[in-house]
Amino acid sequence: MTTAPTVAPGSVSALSARELRRAAWSRWGYRLSVVAGWAVFVGVWYLVARFVFTPQQLPQPHVVATEAWDVLTQRDFSTNIQASILRVVAGFLLALVLSVGLGLLIAYSKWWRRLLNSLLLFIVSVPTVSFAILSLIVLGISPMGPIINAMLVATPYITMNLAQGLTGVDRRLIVMSESFGRTRPQIITGVLIPSSLLSILSGARLAFAVAWRMELLTEVFASSEGIGFQIRRSFESYDIRGMLAWAVLFIIIMLLIENLVFRQIERRLSRWRSPEVGTTQ
Amino acid sequence: MATVLIENLTKIYPPTLNHARQVQALGGLNMSITGNVFVAIVGPSGSGKTTLLNIVAGVERPTSGSVRALQEGVPAQIGYVFQEPRLLPWRTVVDNMLYVQDRKSDRSRREAEFYLQMVGLSEVADLYPSQLSAGMQQRVGIARAFLVNPDVLLLDEPFSHLDALTGRSLRDYLQRIWLQTRKTALFVTHDVTEAVELADRIIMLRPGGVAYDDIAITLPRPRRPADPAVRDVQDEVLRRFDAMGAAVRFGTAQAAR
Amino acid sequence: MSDIHAYQSLPGLRQHDSRPAAEGPLTMRGLLRRPWFIRLVAVGVLVFIWQWVTWVNTRVPGIDEIVRFMVTEMTGGSHGGALTGEFWEPLSLSLQRYAIGLAVGIPAGALLGLVIGASRWARGLFNDTVLVLLALPAVVWAFLASLWFGLSSAGPILAVILTAVPFVAVNLAAGVRNIDPGLVEMSRSYGVPAGRRLRHLLLGGTLPSAFTGLRLAFMTGWNSLLIVEWFGATSGVGWRARFWYDALRYPGFVAWIFLFVILITVFDRLLLSPLERRAFQWNQQPTLTFEEEL
Ligand SMILES: Nc1ncnc2c1ncn2[C@@H]1O[C@H](COP(=O)(O)OP(=O)(O)OP(=O)(O)O)[C@@H](O)[C@H]1O
Ligand SMILES: [Mg+2]
Repeated sequence: MTTAPTVAPGSVSALSARELRRAAWSRWGYRLSVVAGWAVFVGVWYLVARFVFTPQQLPQPHVVATEAWDVLTQRDFSTNIQASILRVVAGFLLALVLSVGLGLLIAYSKWWRRLLNSLLLFIVSVPTVSFAILSLIVLGISPMGPIINAMLVATPYITMNLAQGLTGVDRRLIVMSESFGRTRPQIITGVLIPSSLLSILSGARLAFAVAWRMELLTEVFASSEGIGFQIRRSFESYDIRGMLAWAVLFIIIMLLIENLVFRQIERRLSRWRSPEVGTTQ
Repeated sequence: MATVLIENLTKIYPPTLNHARQVQALGGLNMSITGNVFVAIVGPSGSGKTTLLNIVAGVERPTSGSVRALQEGVPAQIGYVFQEPRLLPWRTVVDNMLYVQDRKSDRSRREAEFYLQMVGLSEVADLYPSQLSAGMQQRVGIARAFLVNPDVLLLDEPFSHLDALTGRSLRDYLQRIWLQTRKTALFVTHDVTEAVELADRIIMLRPGGVAYDDIAITLPRPRRPADPAVRDVQDEVLRRFDAMGAAVRFGTAQAAR
Repeated sequence: MSDIHAYQSLPGLRQHDSRPAAEGPLTMRGLLRRPWFIRLVAVGVLVFIWQWVTWVNTRVPGIDEIVRFMVTEMTGGSHGGALTGEFWEPLSLSLQRYAIGLAVGIPAGALLGLVIGASRWARGLFNDTVLVLLALPAVVWAFLASLWFGLSSAGPILAVILTAVPFVAVNLAAGVRNIDPGLVEMSRSYGVPAGRRLRHLLLGGTLPSAFTGLRLAFMTGWNSLLIVEWFGATSGVGWRARFWYDALRYPGFVAWIFLFVILITVFDRLLLSPLERRAFQWNQQPTLTFEEEL
């Protein structure tokens, strides 16, 4: 009833050239589609600018690009950009310090967790424009407004991720360390910090993106320099070209910080994690 | 009567970003399984066992060769029990079972409850998977496979990540149910004792997905692991399994048998 | 371009305590631990901070002033001079714009997200564009919309749509891509038909991230609506706040800002949270274990 299985002769076979080509295509095809995506984006922008709007209403991409370049090379760029970056970094660092305290409270006390949870969730759910406008009357036009607002919106994200990182640490690792007679400081530096660092980092990254936008918005309402202020000034003089140029720079700076700072730290920190390899189930 | 015909089956995974070289998971496999037999497929990790079942189930496509699972000439209904439970976490146990069932009626719910009862889980129909233990979830997976009234039953190391005690009791369940239903079954495992306890026939795969040995087991059922006759067969199969390991290590596997 | 993890979920943002709080005998310690008591403390902290600010900075109105102003505004009473209260008209107009914007933006974003999540090619094509839209600050949309459409309602509505779409799309795409491939394989091996897969597998698998996207769309859409109305409208709640600001009537200005916050919070509490709780009732702790009855 059953036939004996046979061992295939020359059993190490190979994919045909066509199949290999198909595999390569599916790898490179994705990159191709990304390039195509950018082409479509810029192309649609051109078409809309050309046929739907007047050049004042929506300038063509290359016009915006030249304008951005002009802004980059003129002097008040550096004062504006420097002001914005310094403020967001200051707010972010303040948030980091505050979050370490709050995060520890949340991780180790149930009561504080409940209290801070509702406060922090409240901050997250407030429309950011309210913070921006409120700083206008509380602090007036001053650099403090953007700094404090950036701190305010960044804190929940860092704190929550920090607390989650700390409470999410594998209990078994701690029990293991205790059973080997490690002291508390040793457990903190050897287990708690390394295993929660990535979660903290992802919170910090998110927080920075949020803070950067908050900072911009506050500058729109209550500042006399910075990228946000420039965007508002362009808006008030109906200069859409300048507005888009500043917005493009805003995005580029955000991407640079993402990739040059946070990505690098993350790569360094996550070296101990095994890369995702195709494994058997 | 169900038949599974596998002819010169080869599966090669193309190189990926993480893995620069292509991998041969199955290399020219031939086997034919007919009737209500319980076939165990044993082999070390990475010998293409899961790949084989996935191809039989139609989840993956072979690189070359053919697989046919037929019931009276038409494609057979497959029931697949996976290595993990694979239940939808957001649906209750009974809804999970009805998810794979084609007829929707009052009767099919009663049917689902019948198979749940068969695996000893009549109480949990309306709970969510996260409320069950791992062993109970795996039993739901088995009940689900029987619910579709399969012609061919595929089981992929269903007990391998459970603790030994739970694994043992589930094995008893499976043996009992199989004796009642006698479905054609392909049971993948890397545990030789388990294979001897359950199977009529044991097919050994060696790395690269090549059949190495085919052993018929004619012990009477139900089999108890403590039975001396079962013990003897287990020893014999284990010996051959070790011989395969040695043969693979010394590069003489081609010449086996 | 990197993937900006813009406003993915905040851990805890949707974690409801689904287990009822233990209601023990009412001792002092027990009282201190009741969730409602802790929430009361949280509100108290906020009120205290606000009053402290008014004390330090005299430009900032106290809570009593704000409430009094709002009452006059709501009852249509006189604010002195020729100024009378206006409440329902700006409010209903804004809510209308908000509703229309979301009704267009959410389905559009959902469709885009599903396509990006389901197909690698679509992901390559649209992913970066969506991320650019996401990174563009809401205020730029607001300014563009008001420059393009002047003082009509089209500007605010467009701004709501444009902010909502990328948030919904990004989150839904992530949800689709995170569906357990094992479950997809399982469905294929049992030959589960497409309709049932859509309802049980896709819907269930993407619901958590869909809720995140939805909540973010609600929040940011409201935000950009207010910005457009502040800078480029002659009606709506944003305009009303601006009106009192320009009139140097700070209690009125702050009252409207508080209203922004209260509205979005109430909306969340009354609509989103209950829906979410219902959708996630499966996500509970294990209550049963393997019982040996062999
Ligand atoms: N999707 C895939 N892409 C690339 N290679 C794969 C893929 N799936 C499996 N492989 C490779 O094919 C080979 C066989 O894998 P398979 O999962 O069938 O092994 P297995 O016998 O089931 O092992 P285990 O006992 O560990 O479950 C392995 O070398 C594995 O790395
Ligand atoms: Mg396997």
